[in-house]
Amino acid sequence: MTTPTPRVLVPSGATKGEVFQVRTIISHQMETGLRHDVQGRVIPRKIINRFVCRYGGVEVFSVDLHEAVSANPFIEFYLLAMESGRLEFIWEEDGGSTYRLEHQLAVA
Amino acid sequence: MGLTRREMLMAGGVGSAALSSAFLASGLAGAHDETAEFVARHTGGKATESDRVHLIMPAVFPTGYTVPMDLKVDSPMTEDDHVKRIRVFAPQNPLIDVASFNFVPQRSIARVSTRIRLAKPQYVVAVAEMSDGALLMTKTWVDVATNGCI
Repeated sequence: MTTPTPRVLVPSGATKGEVFQVRTIISHQMETGLRHDVQGRVIPRKIINRFVCRYGGVEVFSVDLHEAVSANPFIEFYLLAMESGRLEFIWEEDGGSTYRLEHQLAVA
Repeated sequence: MGLTRREMLMAGGVGSAALSSAFLASGLAGAHDETAEFVARHTGGKATESDRVHLIMPAVFPTGYTVPMDLKVDSPMTEDDHVKRIRVFAPQNPLIDVASFNFVPQRSIARVSTRIRLAKPQYVVAVAEMSDGALLMTKTWVDVATNGCI
């Protein structure tokens, strides 16, 4: 499996008090733990189990994902523009790996 | 003189009508009762159906691997009145929890989109946990053509 690659689509700027959309996706096969390999052995579960968004260091949105979320999890959500600052996006995988992206948001 | 043939037929007619209406009632109402029970078991609380919770999914979809799901709750998202989290369940999947979306008042809106797996045609259920402890739920029927879970 190639390294999970996250991508985020978020505006570079917003007006204070405005709602802006964030779209995220991470390439990840999401093994549900229900499939079998050619030998008939169960392929163990390996999924992105948590997504967190922090804005200026404060957690503003998160998702606990389970096996029923599709592969290459796509999550679209909406935040309120408060102040200029850093948006952090963190994906946590079964086994402890994390993947992150950052984005600077300019709020007028 | 015993029952006439007319009386026998009428008794049979009434009996089968009663039986079939019982089946119909349990088919439709039963789905509601089962969902309420199911939610109570999984959230530990009593949820009420609410049209403030919008679970928008295609009624029919060709694949169960990546079914689009839009979820929204009408809420001011203030400190006093907001959605804490929305849990989504697919009761007919081998593993019924789908996802739990957690919101923060004044920072995020109770609105998300994602794509989920469904094993077979079923009601997908969303339960919103409000800041006052109320559980609001809704469900929508999705008919998928393939099993997206294996």
